[in-house]
Amino acid sequence: MTTRHEVCSASELEPGDRKLVEVGGISVGVFNVDGEYHALNNVCPHQLADLCEGPVTGTTTSDEVGEFGEWVRDGEIIRCPWHGWEFEIESGESLFNPHVRTRSFEATVEEMAPDCDPTDGESVCERANETADGNAVDQEEKYGTSLAGDEPPVDTYEVEVESETVVVYV
Amino acid sequence: MAQAPQSSGDAESGLSLVDCDLHQSYATDDELAGYLPERYESRGIVIPELLFRHESSSSRPDSFRGDETATGGYNSADVYAGSSKEAVIDILDENGTDYAFLTHQTDLTINGIPNTDYAFELAKAANEYAMEEWIPEDDRLLMSLFVAMEEPEKSAEMIREMGDHPRVRQILIQSVVGRNPFGQEYYWPVYEAAEEMGLQVGLHVSSTGTGTMYPPTAAGHPTTSIEWSSVVPSAYMGTLASLVTEGVLEKYPDLGFNFIEGGYMWVPQLMWRMDNLWKAARSQVPWLEKRPSEYIYDQVRFTTQPAHFPEDPRRLTKLMEAFDAEKLLMFSSDYPHHDTDDPEHALPPGLSEEARERIYYKNAQEFYDLPDDPADLE
Repeated sequence: MTTRHEVCSASELEPGDRKLVEVGGISVGVFNVDGEYHALNNVCPHQLADLCEGPVTGTTTSDEVGEFGEWVRDGEIIRCPWHGWEFEIESGESLFNPHVRTRSFEATVEEMAPDCDPTDGESVCERANETADGNAVDQEEKYGTSLAGDEPPVDTYEVEVESETVVVYV
Repeated sequence: MAQAPQSSGDAESGLSLVDCDLHQSYATDDELAGYLPERYESRGIVIPELLFRHESSSSRPDSFRGDETATGGYNSADVYAGSSKEAVIDILDENGTDYAFLTHQTDLTINGIPNTDYAFELAKAANEYAMEEWIPEDDRLLMSLFVAMEEPEKSAEMIREMGDHPRVRQILIQSVVGRNPFGQEYYWPVYEAAEEMGLQVGLHVSSTGTGTMYPPTAAGHPTTSIEWSSVVPSAYMGTLASLVTEGVLEKYPDLGFNFIEGGYMWVPQLMWRMDNLWKAARSQVPWLEKRPSEYIYDQVRFTTQPAHFPEDPRRLTKLMEAFDAEKLLMFSSDYPHHDTDDPEHALPPGLSEEARERIYYKNAQEFYDLPDDPADLE
Protein backbone atom coordinates (compact mmCIF):
# COMPACT_ATOMS: atom_id res chain seq x y z
CA MET A 1 0.00 0.00 0.00
CA THR A 2 1.36 3.38 -0.93
CA THR A 3 0.90 6.64 0.85
CA ARG A 4 0.41 9.97 -0.82
CA HIS A 5 2.96 12.60 0.08
CA GLU A 6 2.83 16.18 -1.04
CA VAL A 7 6.28 17.45 -1.89
CA CYS A 8 6.05 21.06 -2.96
CA SER A 9 4.30 23.45 -5.20
CA ALA A 10 4.73 22.61 -8.87
CA SER A 11 6.30 26.00 -9.38
CA GLU A 12 9.16 24.97 -7.13
CA LEU A 13 10.08 22.01 -9.35
CA GLU A 14 10.64 23.30 -12.82
CA PRO A 15 11.87 21.08 -15.66
CA GLY A 16 15.45 20.04 -14.87
CA ASP A 17 14.98 20.58 -11.13
CA ARG A 18 15.12 17.99 -8.43
CA LYS A 19 14.15 18.02 -4.80
CA LEU A 20 15.27 15.72 -2.01
CA VAL A 21 12.61 15.01 0.58
CA GLU A 22 12.01 12.71 3.50
CA VAL A 23 8.80 10.79 3.12
CA GLY A 24 7.62 7.79 5.03
CA GLY A 25 10.97 7.64 6.79
CA ILE A 26 13.08 7.36 3.67
CA SER A 27 14.97 9.82 1.52
CA VAL A 28 13.50 10.31 -1.94
CA GLY A 29 14.64 12.37 -4.90
CA VAL A 30 11.82 13.93 -6.91
CA PHE A 31 12.67 15.02 -10.44
CA ASN A 32 11.00 17.07 -13.11
CA VAL A 33 12.34 15.73 -16.40
CA ASP A 34 10.95 17.83 -19.18
CA GLY A 35 7.58 18.13 -17.49
CA GLU A 36 7.42 14.49 -16.43
CA TYR A 37 7.71 13.80 -12.73
CA HIS A 38 9.72 10.90 -11.32
CA ALA A 39 10.82 9.84 -7.86
CA LEU A 40 13.72 7.59 -6.87
CA ASN A 41 14.88 6.11 -3.64
CA ASN A 42 17.92 8.19 -2.73
CA VAL A 43 20.14 5.13 -2.41
CA CYS A 44 22.58 3.74 -4.92
CA PRO A 45 22.39 -0.09 -4.90
CA HIS A 46 26.17 -0.26 -5.20
CA GLN A 47 27.44 1.18 -1.91
CA LEU A 48 24.36 3.04 -0.66
CA ALA A 49 25.51 6.52 -1.58
CA ASP A 50 22.97 9.34 -1.88
CA LEU A 51 22.24 8.62 -5.51
CA CYS A 52 19.87 11.50 -6.09
CA GLU A 53 22.54 14.06 -5.24
CA GLY A 54 24.56 13.09 -8.31
CA PRO A 55 24.76 14.97 -11.58
CA VAL A 56 21.83 14.76 -13.98
CA THR A 57 23.17 14.11 -17.42
CA GLY A 58 22.73 12.37 -20.76
CA THR A 59 24.78 9.61 -22.28
CA THR A 60 26.65 8.47 -25.36
CA THR A 61 25.66 6.11 -28.12
CA SER A 62 27.53 4.28 -30.83
CA ASP A 63 26.39 2.86 -34.14
CA GLU A 64 29.82 1.59 -35.08
CA VAL A 65 32.75 0.32 -33.03
CA GLY A 66 35.11 3.17 -32.26
CA GLU A 67 32.63 5.86 -33.39
CA PHE A 68 30.48 7.95 -31.09
CA GLY A 69 26.89 8.52 -32.13
CA GLU A 70 24.49 11.15 -30.80
CA TRP A 71 24.54 12.46 -27.26
CA VAL A 72 21.15 11.27 -26.09
CA ARG A 73 18.67 11.41 -23.21
CA ASP A 74 20.07 14.64 -21.85
CA GLY A 75 18.51 15.28 -18.44
CA GLU A 76 17.08 11.76 -18.19
CA ILE A 77 20.01 10.08 -16.47
CA ILE A 78 21.51 10.51 -13.04
CA ARG A 79 25.01 9.44 -12.12
CA CYS A 80 25.79 8.33 -8.61
CA PRO A 81 27.96 11.00 -6.98
CA TRP A 82 30.37 8.37 -5.62
CA HIS A 83 31.29 6.01 -8.45
CA GLY A 84 29.44 7.44 -11.40
CA TRP A 85 27.10 4.59 -12.22
CA GLU A 86 24.35 5.76 -14.57
CA PHE A 87 20.67 5.31 -13.78
CA GLU A 88 17.55 6.06 -15.75
CA ILE A 89 15.60 8.62 -13.73
CA GLU A 90 12.32 7.33 -15.11
CA SER A 91 12.76 3.70 -14.05
CA GLY A 92 15.62 3.64 -11.56
CA GLU A 93 17.37 1.04 -13.69
CA SER A 94 21.11 1.26 -14.24
CA LEU A 95 22.24 1.59 -17.82
CA PHE A 96 24.71 -1.29 -17.60
CA ASN A 97 22.22 -3.81 -16.27
CA PRO A 98 18.48 -3.23 -15.81
CA HIS A 99 18.44 -5.69 -12.91
CA VAL A 100 20.72 -3.36 -10.97
CA ARG A 101 18.37 -0.58 -9.99
CA THR A 102 17.14 1.68 -7.30
CA ARG A 103 13.48 1.79 -6.34
CA SER A 104 11.30 4.21 -8.22
CA PHE A 105 8.01 5.69 -7.02
CA GLU A 106 5.05 7.21 -8.73
CA ALA A 107 5.25 10.99 -8.86
CA THR A 108 2.79 13.38 -10.37
CA VAL A 109 1.17 16.78 -10.03
CA GLU A 110 -2.18 17.04 -8.32
CA GLU A 111 -4.34 19.64 -6.75
CA MET A 112 -3.00 20.75 -3.39
CA ALA A 113 -4.68 19.93 -0.17
CA PRO A 114 -6.02 23.13 1.40
CA ASP A 115 -4.30 22.59 4.73
CA CYS A 116 -0.88 22.13 3.23
CA ASP A 117 1.01 25.33 2.54
CA PRO A 118 4.22 24.69 0.67
CA THR A 119 5.42 28.21 1.42
CA ASP A 120 5.46 27.72 5.16
CA GLY A 121 8.92 26.18 5.16
CA GLU A 122 7.75 22.60 5.38
CA SER A 123 8.65 20.95 2.15
CA VAL A 124 6.59 17.87 2.70
CA CYS A 125 2.98 17.48 3.53
CA GLU A 126 2.02 13.96 4.20
CA ARG A 127 -1.52 12.84 3.76
CA ALA A 128 -2.78 9.35 3.42
CA ASN A 129 -4.67 9.12 0.21
CA GLU A 130 -7.50 7.21 1.62
CA THR A 131 -10.52 7.80 3.76
CA ALA A 132 -11.29 6.15 7.04
CA ASP A 133 -13.18 3.40 5.31
CA GLY A 134 -10.36 2.76 2.88
CA ASN A 135 -11.96 4.29 -0.19
CA ALA A 136 -10.01 6.65 -2.37
CA VAL A 137 -10.52 10.29 -1.66
CA ASP A 138 -12.83 12.10 -3.98
CA GLN A 139 -10.68 15.14 -4.61
CA GLU A 140 -13.52 17.23 -5.85
CA GLU A 141 -15.79 16.51 -2.98
CA LYS A 142 -13.24 16.81 -0.23
CA TYR A 143 -11.25 19.80 -1.41
CA GLY A 144 -13.76 21.53 -3.61
CA THR A 145 -11.19 22.29 -6.20
CA SER A 146 -13.24 21.55 -9.23
CA LEU A 147 -14.75 24.67 -10.60
CA ALA A 148 -16.43 23.04 -13.50
CA GLY A 149 -19.70 24.74 -14.34
CA ASP A 150 -19.04 27.69 -12.04
CA GLU A 151 -18.26 31.15 -13.25
CA PRO A 152 -14.57 31.48 -12.49
CA PRO A 153 -13.41 34.39 -10.36
CA VAL A 154 -11.10 37.00 -11.86
CA ASP A 155 -7.96 35.46 -10.43
CA THR A 156 -8.78 31.88 -11.38
CA TYR A 157 -5.73 31.33 -13.50
CA GLU A 158 -3.29 32.41 -10.79
CA VAL A 159 -5.02 30.38 -8.13
CA GLU A 160 -4.96 27.22 -10.17
CA VAL A 161 -1.23 27.43 -10.85
CA GLU A 162 -0.45 28.05 -7.23
CA SER A 163 -2.56 25.13 -6.19
CA GLU A 164 -0.72 22.52 -8.26
CA THR A 165 1.31 20.29 -6.04
CA VAL A 166 3.93 17.67 -6.74
CA VAL A 167 3.00 14.47 -4.98
CA VAL A 168 4.81 11.19 -4.62
CA TYR A 169 3.35 7.85 -3.63
CA VAL A 170 5.70 5.86 -1.40
CA MET B 1 59.52 -39.56 -20.02
CA ALA B 2 56.34 -37.62 -20.07
CA GLN B 3 53.14 -39.24 -21.05
CA ALA B 4 50.12 -37.62 -22.54
CA PRO B 5 47.83 -36.55 -19.74
CA GLN B 6 45.56 -39.44 -19.03
CA SER B 7 42.30 -37.85 -19.94
CA SER B 8 40.81 -40.73 -21.79
CA GLY B 9 37.23 -41.77 -21.35
CA ASP B 10 36.04 -39.02 -23.65
CA ALA B 11 34.46 -40.77 -26.56
CA GLU B 12 33.54 -37.51 -28.26
CA SER B 13 37.07 -36.56 -29.15
CA GLY B 14 40.07 -38.47 -30.29
CA LEU B 15 42.46 -35.84 -29.00
CA SER B 16 44.40 -35.76 -25.77
CA LEU B 17 46.88 -32.89 -26.07
CA VAL B 18 47.20 -29.68 -28.06
CA ASP B 19 50.41 -27.73 -27.52
CA CYS B 20 49.89 -24.02 -28.20
CA ASP B 21 53.54 -23.03 -28.09
CA LEU B 22 56.35 -24.98 -29.67
CA HIS B 23 59.38 -23.05 -30.88
CA GLN B 24 60.97 -24.49 -33.96
CA SER B 25 63.79 -22.56 -35.56
CA TYR B 26 66.19 -22.30 -38.41
CA ALA B 27 69.64 -23.41 -37.30
CA THR B 28 71.50 -20.26 -38.30
CA ASP B 29 70.66 -16.72 -39.36
CA ASP B 30 71.95 -17.41 -42.84
CA GLU B 31 69.31 -20.05 -43.30
CA LEU B 32 66.55 -17.52 -42.70
CA ALA B 33 68.28 -14.76 -44.63
CA GLY B 34 67.88 -16.86 -47.75
CA TYR B 35 64.15 -16.15 -47.56
CA LEU B 36 64.55 -12.36 -47.44
CA PRO B 37 64.04 -10.32 -50.59
CA GLU B 38 67.18 -9.34 -52.48
CA ARG B 39 67.38 -5.86 -51.02
CA TYR B 40 67.80 -7.35 -47.56
CA GLU B 41 69.36 -10.73 -48.22
CA SER B 42 72.94 -9.51 -48.09
CA ARG B 43 72.23 -7.63 -44.88
CA GLY B 44 70.98 -10.75 -43.21
CA ILE B 45 69.16 -10.90 -39.93
CA VAL B 46 69.50 -7.63 -38.06
CA ILE B 47 67.42 -7.44 -34.95
CA PRO B 48 67.59 -5.29 -31.85
CA GLU B 49 69.70 -6.98 -29.20
CA LEU B 50 68.07 -8.16 -26.03
CA LEU B 51 68.90 -6.14 -22.99
CA PHE B 52 69.64 -9.22 -20.91
CA ARG B 53 69.91 -12.96 -21.18
CA HIS B 54 68.69 -15.77 -19.09
CA GLU B 55 71.11 -16.86 -16.42
CA SER B 56 71.38 -20.41 -17.56
CA SER B 57 71.20 -19.46 -21.22
CA SER B 58 69.75 -22.86 -21.67
CA SER B 59 67.34 -24.66 -23.86
CA ARG B 60 66.78 -28.35 -24.24
CA PRO B 61 70.26 -29.42 -25.42
CA ASP B 62 68.79 -32.13 -27.59
CA SER B 63 66.83 -29.57 -29.61
CA PHE B 64 69.80 -28.17 -31.51
CA ARG B 65 70.41 -29.46 -34.98
CA GLY B 66 72.93 -32.18 -35.65
CA ASP B 67 76.38 -32.08 -34.20
CA GLU B 68 76.30 -28.39 -33.55
CA THR B 69 74.44 -28.89 -30.30
CA ALA B 70 74.30 -26.83 -27.22
CA THR B 71 76.90 -24.25 -27.90
CA GLY B 72 74.77 -21.78 -26.04
CA GLY B 73 71.27 -20.62 -25.28
CA TYR B 74 68.47 -19.87 -27.64
CA ASN B 75 69.41 -16.26 -27.79
CA SER B 76 73.16 -16.44 -27.99
CA ALA B 77 73.99 -19.58 -29.87
CA ASP B 78 75.49 -19.81 -33.28
CA VAL B 79 72.93 -22.53 -33.74
CA TYR B 80 69.43 -22.02 -32.47
CA ALA B 81 67.48 -24.27 -30.18
CA GLY B 82 64.52 -25.96 -31.80
CA SER B 83 66.38 -26.38 -35.06
CA SER B 84 66.46 -30.17 -34.92
CA LYS B 85 63.44 -31.53 -36.75
CA GLU B 86 64.02 -34.96 -35.29
CA ALA B 87 63.94 -33.53 -31.78
CA VAL B 88 60.74 -31.59 -32.43
CA ILE B 89 59.00 -34.66 -33.86
CA ASP B 90 60.28 -36.69 -30.94
CA ILE B 91 58.79 -34.32 -28.41
CA LEU B 92 55.41 -34.60 -30.11
CA ASP B 93 55.61 -38.36 -29.71
CA GLU B 94 56.91 -38.18 -26.15
CA ASN B 95 54.18 -35.83 -25.01
CA GLY B 96 51.45 -37.54 -26.98
CA THR B 97 50.75 -34.25 -28.76
CA ASP B 98 47.97 -34.32 -31.32
CA TYR B 99 48.61 -30.83 -32.61
CA ALA B 100 51.34 -28.30 -31.91
CA PHE B 101 51.46 -24.68 -32.93
CA LEU B 102 54.79 -23.63 -34.33
CA THR B 103 55.68 -20.33 -32.72
CA HIS B 104 59.07 -19.86 -34.32
CA GLN B 105 62.26 -18.23 -33.22
CA THR B 106 61.56 -16.00 -30.23
CA ASP B 107 64.17 -13.34 -30.71
CA LEU B 108 63.08 -11.80 -33.97
CA THR B 109 61.57 -8.82 -32.14
CA ILE B 110 59.43 -8.17 -35.20
CA ASN B 111 57.34 -5.43 -33.67
CA GLY B 112 60.38 -3.69 -32.22
CA ILE B 113 62.30 -3.13 -35.42
CA PRO B 114 62.27 0.56 -36.34
CA ASN B 115 62.48 -0.18 -40.06
CA THR B 116 58.99 -1.51 -40.51
CA ASP B 117 59.54 -2.55 -44.10
CA TYR B 118 62.35 -4.79 -42.95
CA ALA B 119 60.22 -6.01 -40.06
CA PHE B 120 57.49 -6.99 -42.49
CA GLU B 121 59.92 -8.78 -44.80
CA LEU B 122 61.49 -10.56 -41.85
CA ALA B 123 58.08 -11.77 -40.66
CA LYS B 124 57.23 -12.94 -44.14
CA ALA B 125 60.58 -14.69 -44.53
CA ALA B 126 60.10 -16.52 -41.25
CA ASN B 127 56.64 -17.58 -42.40
CA GLU B 128 57.85 -18.81 -45.77
CA TYR B 129 60.73 -20.64 -44.13
CA ALA B 130 58.39 -22.44 -41.74
CA MET B 131 55.84 -23.24 -44.43
CA GLU B 132 58.51 -24.77 -46.63
CA GLU B 133 60.81 -26.37 -44.11
CA TRP B 134 58.57 -27.40 -41.25
CA ILE B 135 54.91 -27.75 -42.15
CA PRO B 136 55.52 -30.65 -44.57
CA GLU B 137 57.44 -32.51 -41.87
CA ASP B 138 54.50 -33.71 -39.81
CA ASP B 139 50.72 -33.45 -39.98
CA ARG B 140 50.56 -32.48 -36.34
CA LEU B 141 52.40 -29.20 -36.85
CA LEU B 142 50.17 -26.14 -37.22
CA MET B 143 51.32 -22.83 -38.57
CA SER B 144 51.22 -19.38 -37.01
CA LEU B 145 51.77 -16.49 -39.40
CA PHE B 146 54.01 -13.81 -37.97
CA VAL B 147 52.64 -10.35 -38.61
CA ALA B 148 54.41 -6.99 -38.56
CA MET B 149 51.87 -4.88 -36.71
CA GLU B 150 53.39 -1.56 -37.77
CA GLU B 151 52.70 -2.50 -41.40
CA PRO B 152 49.03 -3.38 -41.03
CA GLU B 153 48.01 -3.09 -44.70
CA LYS B 154 50.89 -5.16 -46.01
CA SER B 155 50.39 -7.69 -43.25
CA ALA B 156 46.70 -7.96 -44.08
CA GLU B 157 47.62 -8.69 -47.67
CA MET B 158 50.09 -11.35 -46.57
CA ILE B 159 47.46 -12.94 -44.31
CA ARG B 160 45.10 -13.19 -47.27
CA GLU B 161 47.84 -14.70 -49.45
CA MET B 162 49.20 -17.22 -46.99
CA GLY B 163 46.20 -17.80 -44.75
CA ASP B 164 44.22 -20.22 -46.83
CA HIS B 165 46.55 -23.17 -46.25
CA PRO B 166 44.68 -25.71 -44.12
CA ARG B 167 47.49 -25.92 -41.57
CA VAL B 168 47.61 -22.16 -41.02
CA ARG B 169 45.32 -21.62 -38.05
CA GLN B 170 46.41 -18.33 -36.58
CA ILE B 171 48.40 -15.16 -37.05
CA LEU B 172 51.04 -14.44 -34.45
CA ILE B 173 51.88 -11.11 -32.86
CA GLN B 174 55.31 -11.49 -31.36
CA SER B 175 56.39 -8.84 -28.86
CA VAL B 176 53.31 -7.06 -27.66
CA VAL B 177 54.69 -3.60 -27.05
CA GLY B 178 53.99 -1.75 -30.28
CA ARG B 179 54.10 1.92 -31.05
CA ASN B 180 50.58 2.02 -29.69
CA PRO B 181 48.38 -0.48 -27.89
CA PHE B 182 47.25 -3.10 -30.37
CA GLY B 183 43.53 -2.49 -29.92
CA GLN B 184 43.75 0.82 -31.76
CA GLU B 185 42.12 1.30 -35.12
CA TYR B 186 45.43 1.60 -36.94
CA TYR B 187 45.92 -2.15 -36.47
CA TRP B 188 42.42 -3.26 -37.45
CA PRO B 189 43.28 -4.23 -41.04
CA VAL B 190 45.28 -7.11 -39.56
CA TYR B 191 42.33 -8.35 -37.53
CA GLU B 192 39.93 -7.90 -40.40
CA ALA B 193 42.09 -10.06 -42.65
CA ALA B 194 42.52 -12.72 -39.96
CA GLU B 195 38.79 -12.94 -39.34
CA GLU B 196 38.11 -13.05 -43.05
CA MET B 197 40.49 -16.00 -43.44
CA GLY B 198 39.03 -17.83 -40.47
CA LEU B 199 42.21 -17.51 -38.42
CA GLN B 200 42.71 -16.76 -34.76
CA VAL B 201 45.19 -14.31 -33.28
CA GLY B 202 48.03 -15.62 -31.16
CA LEU B 203 50.14 -13.24 -29.16
CA HIS B 204 53.55 -14.31 -27.97
CA VAL B 205 55.26 -12.57 -25.13
CA SER B 206 58.78 -13.16 -26.43
CA SER B 207 61.00 -10.17 -27.02
CA THR B 208 58.36 -7.85 -25.59
CA GLY B 209 59.81 -4.51 -24.62
CA THR B 210 63.36 -5.40 -25.52
CA GLY B 211 65.79 -3.74 -27.87
CA THR B 212 64.51 -0.43 -29.16
CA MET B 213 60.94 -0.93 -28.05
CA TYR B 214 59.16 0.91 -25.30
CA PRO B 215 59.82 -0.95 -22.06
CA PRO B 216 57.52 -3.84 -21.17
CA THR B 217 56.23 -1.89 -18.16
CA ALA B 218 55.81 1.78 -17.45
CA ALA B 219 58.35 1.34 -14.65
CA GLY B 220 61.07 1.21 -17.26
CA HIS B 221 63.41 -1.30 -18.86
CA PRO B 222 64.22 -4.34 -16.73
CA THR B 223 67.91 -5.06 -16.36
CA THR B 224 67.80 -8.82 -15.87
CA SER B 225 65.83 -11.73 -17.20
CA ILE B 226 64.33 -12.45 -13.79
CA GLU B 227 62.95 -8.94 -13.70
CA TRP B 228 61.71 -9.10 -17.28
CA SER B 229 60.03 -12.47 -16.89
CA SER B 230 58.38 -11.35 -13.67
CA VAL B 231 56.74 -8.25 -15.07
CA VAL B 232 56.19 -8.90 -18.75
CA PRO B 233 52.59 -10.05 -18.18
CA SER B 234 51.81 -6.41 -17.50
CA ALA B 235 52.33 -5.75 -21.21
CA TYR B 236 49.65 -8.35 -21.85
CA MET B 237 47.33 -6.55 -19.45
CA GLY B 238 47.72 -3.39 -21.46
CA THR B 239 47.17 -5.22 -24.72
CA LEU B 240 44.06 -7.03 -23.54
CA ALA B 241 42.56 -3.90 -22.00
CA SER B 242 43.14 -2.14 -25.31
CA LEU B 243 41.55 -4.92 -27.37
CA VAL B 244 38.47 -4.91 -25.16
CA THR B 245 37.90 -1.19 -24.70
CA GLU B 246 38.67 -0.15 -28.26
CA GLY B 247 36.01 -2.60 -29.34
CA VAL B 248 38.11 -5.07 -31.34
CA LEU B 249 36.30 -8.03 -29.80
CA GLU B 250 32.94 -6.42 -30.55
CA LYS B 251 33.88 -5.52 -34.10
CA TYR B 252 35.37 -8.94 -34.93
CA PRO B 253 33.12 -11.39 -33.07
CA ASP B 254 34.52 -14.43 -34.86
CA LEU B 255 38.08 -13.60 -33.89
CA GLY B 256 39.74 -15.19 -30.88
CA PHE B 257 42.92 -14.07 -29.15
CA ASN B 258 45.33 -16.47 -27.49
CA PHE B 259 47.75 -14.84 -25.05
CA ILE B 260 50.73 -17.17 -25.04
CA GLU B 261 53.34 -17.48 -22.29
CA GLY B 262 52.18 -14.54 -20.24
CA GLY B 263 50.70 -16.28 -17.22
CA TYR B 264 47.05 -16.16 -16.22
CA MET B 265 46.66 -15.16 -12.60
CA TRP B 266 46.47 -11.52 -13.67
CA VAL B 267 43.41 -12.31 -15.76
CA PRO B 268 40.78 -12.35 -12.98
CA GLN B 269 42.25 -9.15 -11.59
CA LEU B 270 41.88 -7.45 -14.96
CA MET B 271 38.41 -8.87 -15.64
CA TRP B 272 36.99 -7.94 -12.27
CA ARG B 273 38.49 -4.49 -12.38
CA MET B 274 37.31 -3.81 -15.92
CA ASP B 275 33.82 -5.06 -15.19
CA ASN B 276 33.52 -2.82 -12.20
CA LEU B 277 34.93 0.23 -13.94
CA TRP B 278 32.71 -0.33 -16.94
CA LYS B 279 29.60 0.13 -14.81
CA ALA B 280 30.51 3.77 -14.42
CA ALA B 281 32.54 4.36 -17.54
CA ARG B 282 30.47 2.58 -20.17
CA SER B 283 29.59 5.91 -21.72
CA GLN B 284 33.27 6.22 -22.72
CA VAL B 285 32.97 2.99 -24.72
CA PRO B 286 29.34 2.85 -25.86
CA TRP B 287 30.26 0.36 -28.60
CA LEU B 288 30.61 -2.38 -25.97
CA GLU B 289 27.42 -4.41 -25.86
CA LYS B 290 28.31 -6.48 -22.81
CA ARG B 291 30.61 -6.32 -19.85
CA PRO B 292 34.34 -6.75 -20.52
CA SER B 293 34.69 -10.17 -18.91
CA GLU B 294 32.01 -11.60 -21.18
CA TYR B 295 34.07 -10.66 -24.21
CA ILE B 296 37.07 -12.33 -22.61
CA TYR B 297 35.29 -15.58 -21.79
CA ASP B 298 33.81 -15.64 -25.28
CA GLN B 299 36.86 -14.75 -27.35
CA VAL B 300 40.11 -14.78 -25.37
CA ARG B 301 42.30 -17.62 -24.11
CA PHE B 302 45.57 -17.89 -22.20
CA THR B 303 48.21 -20.58 -22.17
CA THR B 304 49.47 -22.41 -19.14
CA GLN B 305 53.22 -22.16 -19.38
CA PRO B 306 55.19 -21.13 -17.37
CA ALA B 307 53.25 -23.03 -14.73
CA HIS B 308 52.58 -21.26 -11.46
CA PHE B 309 53.27 -23.18 -8.32
CA PRO B 310 52.76 -21.79 -4.84
CA GLU B 311 54.22 -23.80 -1.98
CA ASP B 312 50.95 -25.58 -1.61
CA PRO B 313 49.84 -26.17 -5.21
CA ARG B 314 46.30 -26.98 -4.12
CA ARG B 315 45.88 -23.31 -3.29
CA LEU B 316 46.41 -22.54 -6.96
CA THR B 317 43.58 -24.91 -7.76
CA LYS B 318 41.26 -22.84 -5.59
CA LEU B 319 42.38 -19.64 -7.25
CA MET B 320 41.79 -21.14 -10.67
CA GLU B 321 38.32 -22.21 -9.67
CA ALA B 322 37.59 -18.66 -8.55
CA PHE B 323 37.52 -17.44 -12.16
CA ASP B 324 36.56 -20.61 -14.04
CA ALA B 325 40.08 -20.95 -15.38
CA GLU B 326 39.15 -24.13 -17.19
CA LYS B 327 37.13 -22.02 -19.61
CA LEU B 328 40.08 -19.79 -20.44
CA LEU B 329 43.28 -21.83 -20.37
CA MET B 330 45.02 -23.93 -23.00
CA PHE B 331 48.10 -26.04 -22.55
CA SER B 332 51.47 -24.92 -23.90
CA SER B 333 54.91 -26.42 -23.51
CA ASP B 334 57.19 -23.62 -24.75
CA TYR B 335 59.51 -26.35 -25.93
CA PRO B 336 62.52 -26.21 -26.03
CA HIS B 337 63.17 -23.24 -23.77
CA HIS B 338 64.63 -23.16 -20.30
CA ASP B 339 61.21 -22.83 -18.71
CA THR B 340 59.46 -25.49 -20.78
CA ASP B 341 56.62 -27.35 -19.11
CA ASP B 342 56.17 -31.08 -19.31
CA PRO B 343 52.43 -31.73 -19.70
CA GLU B 344 52.52 -33.97 -16.65
CA HIS B 345 53.51 -30.98 -14.52
CA ALA B 346 51.63 -28.11 -16.07
CA LEU B 347 48.58 -28.08 -13.80
CA PRO B 348 48.14 -28.20 -10.05
CA PRO B 349 46.60 -31.22 -8.34
CA GLY B 350 42.95 -31.29 -7.50
CA LEU B 351 41.53 -29.89 -10.70
CA SER B 352 38.54 -31.81 -11.94
CA GLU B 353 38.97 -34.23 -14.79
CA GLU B 354 36.70 -32.08 -16.90
CA ALA B 355 38.85 -29.02 -16.23
CA ARG B 356 42.02 -30.90 -17.14
CA GLU B 357 40.52 -32.13 -20.39
CA ARG B 358 39.42 -28.65 -21.30
CA ILE B 359 42.85 -27.21 -20.65
CA TYR B 360 44.85 -29.99 -22.29
CA TYR B 361 42.92 -30.17 -25.54
CA LYS B 362 39.22 -29.36 -25.58
CA ASN B 363 39.51 -25.60 -25.39
CA ALA B 364 42.15 -25.54 -28.11
CA GLN B 365 40.19 -27.90 -30.30
CA GLU B 366 37.18 -25.59 -30.10
CA PHE B 367 39.17 -22.36 -30.32
CA TYR B 368 41.10 -23.40 -33.42
CA ASP B 369 38.36 -25.63 -34.84
CA LEU B 370 40.58 -28.68 -35.10
CA PRO B 371 39.31 -32.02 -36.39
CA ASP B 372 40.03 -35.20 -34.47
CA ASP B 373 42.25 -36.39 -37.28
CA PRO B 374 44.89 -34.00 -38.67
CA ALA B 375 44.28 -35.56 -42.08
CA ASP B 376 40.83 -33.94 -42.03
CA LEU B 377 42.18 -30.40 -41.84
CA GLU B 378 40.76 -28.38 -44.67
